[in-house]
Amino acid sequence: MNGRLFRSSLTAGRSGIKARHHRPIRGKRLLPAKLCRVAARHPTPGSQTSLREANRARVIDSLKRHGHLTQVELAGATGLSPATVSNIVKELSTSGVLATSTTSRSGRRAVEVTLARRPGLVAGMHFSSRHLRVAVADVDRTIVAENHVPLALDHRHDRELDRATLLLADMCESLDAELSDLLAVGMAVPAPIDVRTGMVSTPGLLRGWEGVPVAEALSERVQLPVFVDSEANLGGLAEARSGAARGAAGAVYLHVGHTISAALLVGGTPFPGVSGKAGQIGHVTIDENGPICRCGSRGCLDTLAGGPALLELFRDDPGMQRVRDLLLRAESGDASARRVIADAGRHIGIAAASLTNLIDPDLIVVGGELATAGEILLSPMRHALDRSALAGADGVPDIVQGALGERAELHGCLALAVDSVDVGLGVLTP
Amino acid sequence: MRAETPRPGKLSMRGISKRFGAVRALIDVDLDVRAGEVVAIVGDNGAGKSTLIKVLAGVHPADSGTILFDDAPVTIDDPTDARDLGIATVFQDLALCDNLDVVSNLWLGRELRKGGGLDEVEMEQRSWALMRELSAKIPSVRTPVAELSGGQRQTVAVARSLIGDPSIVILDEPTAALGISQTAEVLNLIERLRERGLGVILISHSIADVQAVADRIVVLRLGRNNGDFRVADVSSETIIAAITGATDVRRRPLRTGTDR
Repeated sequence: MNGRLFRSSLTAGRSGIKARHHRPIRGKRLLPAKLCRVAARHPTPGSQTSLREANRARVIDSLKRHGHLTQVELAGATGLSPATVSNIVKELSTSGVLATSTTSRSGRRAVEVTLARRPGLVAGMHFSSRHLRVAVADVDRTIVAENHVPLALDHRHDRELDRATLLLADMCESLDAELSDLLAVGMAVPAPIDVRTGMVSTPGLLRGWEGVPVAEALSERVQLPVFVDSEANLGGLAEARSGAARGAAGAVYLHVGHTISAALLVGGTPFPGVSGKAGQIGHVTIDENGPICRCGSRGCLDTLAGGPALLELFRDDPGMQRVRDLLLRAESGDASARRVIADAGRHIGIAAASLTNLIDPDLIVVGGELATAGEILLSPMRHALDRSALAGADGVPDIVQGALGERAELHGCLALAVDSVDVGLGVLTP
Repeated sequence: MRAETPRPGKLSMRGISKRFGAVRALIDVDLDVRAGEVVAIVGDNGAGKSTLIKVLAGVHPADSGTILFDDAPVTIDDPTDARDLGIATVFQDLALCDNLDVVSNLWLGRELRKGGGLDEVEMEQRSWALMRELSAKIPSVRTPVAELSGGQRQTVAVARSLIGDPSIVILDEPTAALGISQTAEVLNLIERLRERGLGVILISHSIADVQAVADRIVVLRLGRNNGDFRVADVSSETIIAAITGATDVRRRPLRTGTDR
């Protein structure tokens, strides 16, 4: 059985490499972004070097999902040959990215591989309208474990916080750590948070979470310090730290997905306003007599370009239930899906133009689920901005897609947690 | 992100009735599932959920009513008929062999042959491919199933149902008795099946899980349809009212409960 295992997984590995040429990025959500980054750094995409980088990314990716694996298992999970895996593991453990230890599998000696981590872990939790993403990272913000759960529309705080706590405990366990080993948790919710009370600032925006001091409620469950902010602010923070808005003096981060909101980034830090409501661009009035919004007003941007509003236009189409369906449809060239996204872009562009006239940023970064539509969304936005925003000497601000994709907010959560840890240790003062 | 061409396929059940002696388990029940759609069947214990899917799986043939596949009437008299139509069922007990490894479980009864023996290499390669496609968190396909966690076993059972390339997958209580990480795994798996263009019928008691992954929710009560809701339109209170009988919906109201 063992002999067969080795021989057959060897063949599996080889054919895995061959198959990569035909379909290199199937089923791996992380890989495309990584490949793009690799391609951007290297002048020759598809070269030996970029292939090696992609293979390395595959190995690290598998370890993030499984926690620890032996080299043979790693070969199976990545589809690389055992020899390649062995080389990559050797290389990455010399440079301190991976740690290896000797163990046994089915009575044979085996090398167990884990991601090396600095002492001290933090967690990030991003509750979006339809998803929960949880990550555990070391204080260098290298993610060592990540998980994802679909959520119900209008999820409720008590159930979801309970589940998130259990999930986080499970993830710590897979890293041979305990919940109490974490230093802090950073958390994002899809609504503005009033810094004075720690509750959702405006009624109606996140119905299941109203009247609850969100950070405190989670802190009671996990017995750790918890820091919370809106998803737009944290997505913006991440893009300002390590994404598309890096180095911009004044930037706006637009989170466009199920709901639309913005972060006003002044010198790389989100400006919260007095009660955390700054940047709620989704509730800017576009049409005085438009549909009634959940905030109580009429014709808000959200009622015209938010996820549910776009899907409502396809009410009789059973295959159009989520923003993701719309994106897939647009990607496959469906004209009506493209038109709906473009119209959303135009509306968002009008709101972004008012914002530009008010706070004068040098860059607008677009993130969130709908931003993955790319130019279908962005070019109508640019057009609307060109028409309505005051042009300076160098024209209107650039509109670019976020560099961190749908995980920007999660990175922001981790950044928030790491920042607080530094403050706690007295290493860094804000 | 990838969009595989959605396979054509729409399964409709019309006026399905089933009796066990004096007990009327199903009375004139309708159900529709399209390709790329997740339909959840919810209801109290004894509402007829399991009976309904057993009719579809060919375990109990219906007493009356019609089953249409792409608008053509079909008969499902035994599990082979269901399998030939591309309907795969994962029952609550999973029906895995604990002593066999993942590969053997996946191919049990339809092993690939080469020469005089089994083509282990091909079976293992295709198992890995399937596991990767489902983003399954299984360390090795040569692990005996007994060593896997609840969520991993559920994944193996679902993967096995996919071996025959079905167009409809039925999952009976896939998250019952699972921990949170395993539940997350199964819910993600259901989303992936949907993206593959499969129709999924999901039976579950967890309203929150159902609302997270389903597109439509069909409520059964005492063997009858008691509501058919689009998830985007309905609150959990409305669903529970339909399950408990606080609202009595005799004929199929396609769009009730608009509460947004």
